[in-house]
Amino acid sequence: MNKMKNLMNGKMVPKLLLAVILLLVPLLFQNFNYGLLICGFIAVYVIAISGLDLVFGYCGQISMGHAAFFAIGAYGSAIMHKYLHIPALLTMIIASVAAALIGALLAYPASKLVFHFLSLATVAFGEIVYQLAAQSPGGITGNFTGFYTESINLFGFQINTNTRFYYFALVCVVIFLSAKHRLVHSREGRAFLAIRENAHAADGMGINVRKYKVMAFATSAFYTAIAGGMYVHFVKFISPETVSNKQSVMFLTMLLFGGTSSLAGPVLGAASVLLLNEGLRFAERYQMLIYGVLLLAAILLMPGGIYGVIQKGQQKLRRVK
Amino acid sequence: MLKVNDVTLRFGGLTAVNHVSLELKEGTINGLIGPNGAGKTTFFNLISGVYTPNEGEVIFNGIKLNGKKCYEINRIGMSRTYQIINLFKKMSVVENVMVGLHPKLKSGFFSAIARTGSQKKEEEAAREKAYEWLDFVGLRSKALDPAGSLSYGEQRLLEIVRGLASNPKLILLDEPAAGMNSKEKEELDVILRKIQKLGVTILMIEHDMKLMMGITDYIFVLNYGKKLAEGTPVEIQNNPDVIAAYLGED
Repeated sequence: MNKMKNLMNGKMVPKLLLAVILLLVPLLFQNFNYGLLICGFIAVYVIAISGLDLVFGYCGQISMGHAAFFAIGAYGSAIMHKYLHIPALLTMIIASVAAALIGALLAYPASKLVFHFLSLATVAFGEIVYQLAAQSPGGITGNFTGFYTESINLFGFQINTNTRFYYFALVCVVIFLSAKHRLVHSREGRAFLAIRENAHAADGMGINVRKYKVMAFATSAFYTAIAGGMYVHFVKFISPETVSNKQSVMFLTMLLFGGTSSLAGPVLGAASVLLLNEGLRFAERYQMLIYGVLLLAAILLMPGGIYGVIQKGQQKLRRVK
Repeated sequence: MLKVNDVTLRFGGLTAVNHVSLELKEGTINGLIGPNGAGKTTFFNLISGVYTPNEGEVIFNGIKLNGKKCYEINRIGMSRTYQIINLFKKMSVVENVMVGLHPKLKSGFFSAIARTGSQKKEEEAAREKAYEWLDFVGLRSKALDPAGSLSYGEQRLLEIVRGLASNPKLILLDEPAAGMNSKEKEELDVILRKIQKLGVTILMIEHDMKLMMGITDYIFVLNYGKKLAEGTPVEIQNNPDVIAAYLGED
């Protein structure tokens, strides 16, 4: 009844329209499979940086080593799948729970650190995980050669084409973005924001600052690890290069470029940076340079990212009305 | 209710609070005054858990507070505001009060993600309660504005209700009238009496002597980290030591 009312009001119309467009994307790219591949990657990155947004955008804690959690999700899932013969979807979840626990262990002592020391600690953590992937004990990760794995098998249904993965990833994005939406609009989400805005006052208002910093960090690690798991079973291959500090910088670039502390920001950021990447394929050597310029431009020219610019535009429109 | 027994706080060689004792009676409005640099705010930080005293003890409703953290002390029933406004500026006015309600709410991480029935109900009730608190200081019409967009005086009032939202037994107010115009100060006077009627004990630092002498039941005077005097407003106004500290000795 309520939903019908919303529909009449036109509140649901943009949402339904978006849903229809997203569902029809594979038709659009019928003769352009590569486009669908990019869409799949965008979905993976949306989840990864939505996680980073929880810790950076909402809780105000920096992580410069989030590729480490991507690695734990990807390698963890692929290795468990190969050696323990656990179905791929389950391994993704187990690996991501492990990533969340490792994130919590890292955040517990690190939550005492101020911003710049925290960023150094996370850089170091990212480097440790990278080194473990590149020179693993017993070569379990395949070291520099990389590690091959299989696609996800959902009760006999192989997610092995770009179209299938697109729909699978779309479901994941909907699940993880709505979970994020619910979390940030709750007592916990308010605690994250309060810590970002003023940690002393949050403490004074009865918020256990350390507990919520650890919670934000662990949740964030879970998201990014899930993205890592999605990635590895989509590409069916992972190598240390994918989880180097370059990836961590890419996550931050996407987030800052798209806009922090929102649902739409990470989507806009992942899509625009990945599309730009594709457009600049011929200049791959300058990838890091381009990220650097983008990051600087985002910080200096549009501190709220693309989404911030859109929001400001909307506010102006409303005032004109 | 609050009993401070002979506390001393040192920063290296500097003794910021020097063997201070005081006791607050339940339901009273108490003032803490003293010249600039007397250690008033430091004393607040000492009671509310920002610092732990080197000597002496702070006892609140029979519970020893030494070594307890700020958020734990808030949960025991002591809240505060800050000399420099410490609002969550980018959050809305009503959300600021909802953060103040934090210790009273129970929903955890998983019930938030599952958005369980009880979590939804609790959230709705919290929002309702927060609006009631905004009514208490007349800020309902600004509920959805960012806290940072309020006027200085309104921000002070918002800090007070944010502190009250957790239903404390004692609230420490650090210069609540600073930056307020005379009309706002009159409103503050009314609000402070309303807080007292709720059964909340008040300890406040304030430089506005007219407000202070008119509203407080009892006043403590700090000077150079030491307690110089205590008494009713009339006693304090006639105390030669206090006059000397404020006006300088002859």
